[in-house]
Order: sequence, then C-alpha cells, then structure tokens
Amino acid sequence: MLTCIYEASASKRGHTNIKLVLEPIEQYSLLDQYIHVDADLKKAECVMKSIREKISPQVYRELAYASMAYEEEILDLIYRVLLVGFSYGADVLNMVMYREIMQFNQIRRRLGREVNHFQEFVRFHEVEKGLYVAHIEPKSRLVVALGPIFADRMPSEHFMIIDDIHKEALIHPKDEMYYLKPLNDSEYEQLLKTEEMNDTYTDLWKVFFESIAIRERANEKCQTNLFPLWTRKHAVEFKDNT
Amino acid sequence: MRDMQRLADMQIDSKSELQKEKTLEEKLEILSDAAKYDVACTSSGMDRAGKKGYLGNSCASGVCHTFAADGRCVSLLKILMTNHCEYDCKYCKNRKSNDVERATFTPDEICRLTIEFYKRNYIEGLFLSSGVLKNPDYTMEKIIEALRMLRGTYKFNGYIHVKAIPGASKELIYSAGLLADRISINMELPTQDSLSKLAPNKLMANIIRPMNQISGTIAMHRLAIGKSARMERAGINDHLMNSIWGKEVNRIGTDATDRANRLLPGLQTDADAFLFPADKKDLNLGRAFAPAGQSTQMIIGATNETDLELIRTTQNLYKSFDLKRVFYSGYIPVNEDDALPEPGTPVPLLREHRLYQADWLLRYYGFFADELLSEEHPFFDDAIDPKCNWALNHLEQFPIEINTASYDMLLRVPGIGPNGVKKIVNARRYTKVDFEMLKQMRITLKRAQYFITCNGKMLYKIPLEHRFIRNRLIDVDSVEIADIGGQSVQYKQMNLFSDFNMSCTG
Ligand code: SF4
Repeated sequence: MLTCIYEASASKRGHTNIKLVLEPIEQYSLLDQYIHVDADLKKAECVMKSIREKISPQVYRELAYASMAYEEEILDLIYRVLLVGFSYGADVLNMVMYREIMQFNQIRRRLGREVNHFQEFVRFHEVEKGLYVAHIEPKSRLVVALGPIFADRMPSEHFMIIDDIHKEALIHPKDEMYYLKPLNDSEYEQLLKTEEMNDTYTDLWKVFFESIAIRERANEKCQTNLFPLWTRKHAVEFKDNT
Repeated sequence: MRDMQRLADMQIDSKSELQKEKTLEEKLEILSDAAKYDVACTSSGMDRAGKKGYLGNSCASGVCHTFAADGRCVSLLKILMTNHCEYDCKYCKNRKSNDVERATFTPDEICRLTIEFYKRNYIEGLFLSSGVLKNPDYTMEKIIEALRMLRGTYKFNGYIHVKAIPGASKELIYSAGLLADRISINMELPTQDSLSKLAPNKLMANIIRPMNQISGTIAMHRLAIGKSARMERAGINDHLMNSIWGKEVNRIGTDATDRANRLLPGLQTDADAFLFPADKKDLNLGRAFAPAGQSTQMIIGATNETDLELIRTTQNLYKSFDLKRVFYSGYIPVNEDDALPEPGTPVPLLREHRLYQADWLLRYYGFFADELLSEEHPFFDDAIDPKCNWALNHLEQFPIEINTASYDMLLRVPGIGPNGVKKIVNARRYTKVDFEMLKQMRITLKRAQYFITCNGKMLYKIPLEHRFIRNRLIDVDSVEIADIGGQSVQYKQMNLFSDFNMSCTG
C-alpha cells in the first residue's frame, strides 16, 4: 500500500488524475490506465518516514489502523488524506470541511466499531488443557487489532484467534508476544474442527444465558438489534445443543 | 424456644439440600435466576492493564459480551452466593416465607465458573450478591472467602462487583472493598417509611451509614495514590460552568454527619471512613479500596414515591456520597401481598426509561433535579423525553446559534449529546458549521432543528410555538416507544443518546 502511495506521488500525472485501487480489481473501467505496483520495502519506508516526520506519528498510526478496513476506497482515501495532511500537518484529521477527511473518519469509526464488536463476541473453546482457540469471520482484516486487546486480557494463557475469511491466525503463546501467521489449507482444515469441541463450561454458559433473562421484560426485537443475527454464527449461546 | 425451632428448621433445610446433592448446573440455574433482578454494568470508567501471571484486566468503557432475551447486555457472571435468606423483604422472590428451590455455591465453584467463563471471553468479571445466610456477618464472611480465593489462589485480575450486606460489620465491608472493584449497597427504596413497609428487616440507617463510610474510604484511598478525592466523571463535565459535580460538592472538609443527613435526617454517623488495619492477605494484593467506586439500586413502582423524589434522592446520592451510578429497576411482581402492586401489573419500563434519561441528564448534561421536575409536575411526561420537555418549557432561550453558543447551551439542545458538542466545537475552530456538516456529524436534526440556527438561519422557517413543536417532537419519540410497546430501556436509550455510543444501562 505504502509503495503505491510512493509511486503515485512520484509520478508526474497530477493528483487529481490518479486513483489508487486495491487488487484484485473487480471492474475495470475502459478509460483509465492501470499500473500494477509491487511492494517495495525501501519505497514503503520512505513514505512511512515522511508521514511520521511531516505530519505526525499519531496520524501515521491512524492511517495504518484504517488500512485494515474492507472498504475498497480506503487506499485512495488514505492517499487523499495524505495530500491534505502534507499541507496542514498534525491537525489534518480535524479538517472536516474536506469531504475526504469526513469519509476517512467515517470509515475509521466504522472499523473501530467492527473491532469492538469482535472484542465482545469472540468465543474461545478450550481445545486441550490450557489452549484456547476462537474463530471469527470479519469483513475487514482486523485480527491483528485484537492482538493487544486479548494479550492484555490473558497474558498468561496460550490462545489463538483464527480469521476464517482471510485465512490467517493470531497466535499468542503464554507470557510471550503474539504474532500473525497466514494459514495454508491443511492447517486451516485442522483448526476448523476446534469449534465442535465443547466442554462442560460451554453448557454451563448456555444455562446461565437462558436463566439470566427476565421473562416479564422479554424483547426479542431489542436483542436482535443489539446482536444482529449474521454476527451470531460463532456465539455458542445461540447454537443448538444438537 | 423459637430459636430452637429455627435451628431445627435449618438442619432439615441443609439436610434436604444434601440429600439432593445439586449439580453445579442446577445451582447455576437457580442462583443466576435469583440474581437477575439486580442491575449492574461494567462501564466502570476504570482501566486496569493485565499482569503477567494473572488473568484479566478492566476496561473503562465496559464490554458487553452478549445480549439476553430481554435485550439487556450481559457482561458479568451475575449470581447469588446463596438464595437462602433469613429476611423477608416483601418484593423479593428469595424471601424467607417463599417456598422456592434453594442452593448455595461453594467458594471454589464460584471461582471456577468465573475463571473458565472469563477465559472463553463470555464475561468481563463477576457480580456477586447473596441472600442473608444465618446473619449478615456470616454471609459477608463467606463472600469474602470466595473473593480471596479468586484473587489469591486463582490470580484473577478482572472486574468484580460485590454487594455489601446491610448490617454486616465494618471490618468485613472493608475487606470486601479491598478485594472488589466496585461495591454496592442496594437502597431499594428511597425513604424509611417505604422500607419499613416492604423490607421489615432492613433499616435505612444500616444502608446510609456504610454508604457514607465506603464513600469516605474510597476518597481516602484515591488521595493516597495521588488522585482527586472524587471519582472521575465524563470529560464533558469539565467544560460546563455548572453541574451536579460542581465545586460546592467537594467532599473534603464537609462534615460526614451533614452529608448523611441530606439523605436521612437525624442519622448519627461515627467515622467518615474505615479506619482500622486491613487483613494482611487483602493488603498484600496492593489494591485500592473499590477503585471503580460505589453504586446502588432503587426499585421503581413498588411504592408511591414521585419521580421528583426519586431523582432528588439520586442527585443527593451523587453529591453526598459520590456514587458512580444509581440504577433503577422497574418492579416485577413476583409475590402476592397486600402491600404490593397486584400480580400481573405491567413492569413500569417506560417510567424506568424516563428516570434513566433524567439520570443521564444529571451526570452528563449539567442539569439539576429541580430543573427537570417541580412540585406541581412531579412525574415525567410519558409522551416526551425530559430533555425535550425542558427545552419546550424554556423556548425563550432558543434558538441558539451553533457557531457561537456555549458548551452548556449546546448540550441543552434536544438531539445534541456530549459527543455531538465535542464535534461541533472542534469543527468550528476551523470553519463555519452548517446544517450539512451537522448531518455528517450525526446530530439528530429531527429534534435539534427547532432550537438552532446555523449562521443565522434555521433549517426551515418554523415559528417557535410550543404546541406545534411539542407535537412534532412527540411524533419523533413515539416511533421509538411504539415499536416496542414501552419495552426495552436500552434500545431507546441508545437512540436518544445515540451520539453517546453507550448502550449499557445495566
Ligand atoms: S435480604 Fe431481602 S431482598 Fe435480599 S435476598 Fe433476602 S429477602 Fe431478598
């Protein structure tokens, strides 16, 4: 991504004539010319450095975070934000009168909510004694963002969060730093089974979940609003016992 | 003689429990069912990082892990230690005179459930309450035993909310506070009269006195670690000229008895804080006393207090004891009794909702109880929320200009919340704010449009006329109320305070 930005700003085409898109491209337009860009560590570092120095490390962090979002326009937006940023400096994200800043902020907030959502609804299964595994299906590639959250929550446990969509896993060995690992098919197959491994505490949780609701206040609509059906797939309390 | 009889009863009791040998599953079913009427929330405003070798941390914003069938968020393992009870509070399902299935957790069972649920990311922590087993001191001791085991043996570093049993001795309450993050004593009813009527074994003095001492102890511990005596409040309050958290309520230097008397005239209090050495084991943990503060709960609709009395009491609790939260719980008829509303009386959910809205206005919007209601109108309007109602009654102060209005006034515009105000104030440092931008900021113009101008213009030309605006606002509100038939508190609260991003009421 950073390499793209480097190429775009180094080329002499003029900012308004450039749009950055992520591959794979689903619909090619006839009028535009496509230039494929391969990642290049040096160029990327160059961009990274100039964002940190000319804008601010905070803004760099915000941009890096936002780059996880699934929205396809995100790369182009980051580029636009940078253009504004190089003239305004560290305050760039407050410049809400620019449409691109507004749009960027919206995506950033949505992404924040998505991460939040998984922080709340990830469910771990104890696969063997002391090893906990969870599966998620996020729209964005956000499993990295869950790393610091859960490493702080359970610093002294072995655990693993698997992104079923993007086929990557966040792995946290007990008392150590977590890391990200792309999964190949056979690894993935093996890990898929972990979701069927329920134990007594899964059942106890279901018992608790049933009995904690107050019948006189039943409100399915509200429950569905707060916890939409499509997101319940991995939540054990909504799974049948069968 | 009576005592002998009691003893014999108890033996039979415990024998029959033994005979059945309840499984952990059965116990959990009984004791979570019995605890469900208590309201609690983890949005504690307190961050605590995780520690190597320990399990758990604490997040200031609160984390809900699922939503139960009644739409309430579930973030804590909410259980009673036991539902045996020596008391006979009329409104309670576990009262002594009721014939219900009884069970008691062992400390180890409580710990295992908490730890295992926590590791699976089902919960943020434990909420532990209890019926009165034998007597308040005995109960409190048992609770403390469980908490010590959880913190010490199981090295649990997550969130714990514990109930203090009214009437338990000071030393025990002190220990519990050192082990837990939040401690609460349920007020249940706002006056001694109502209390005597419905909870004959409870004394208001036994509730107010420990509340006062807990609040003093929290303040002392906060000062000792270099914080301000009073709990942190939402940042927005720092910008307000006036709010219930204002200067005059600074608790340092004010008299303990004085403070307690605001809630219970004539009450004699001894010390202002717990002043004795703590148990070594608890001290070794190096934790401050109840760092997430103190809360309480009141039952709504079992007696005939007015809304005005309730929110005045609420305001006093915040001001005098610096409570972190006051929770309301709409009365649910579980028992038949002459002193109670008939069984089948609908749960006063709308009323509860309006009270929560008012509570929000006190804590985040700089309102005072007496601005919202008066002796002539002591109840909230069903049709319209308290903030809109206030604005309608003060039309002479509107419309205000978005680009110049003060923090205080912006917050009083219906449809604009603390987050909206922050966005507006931030944006107007760089540019002139217009209606298009307000929309982008997700300000609810459906409500706000009647009360604001942007650069001198209103959104539409509308006369500032009381009846007209009221009807329009009622339309907006009724959409929210109607589709749930006066149901879910949270859902609506989310809508009204949508710019708040805070769904937790309990
Ligand atoms: S003390 Fe009163 S409210 Fe508490 S469990 Fe016993 S009867 Fe119920």
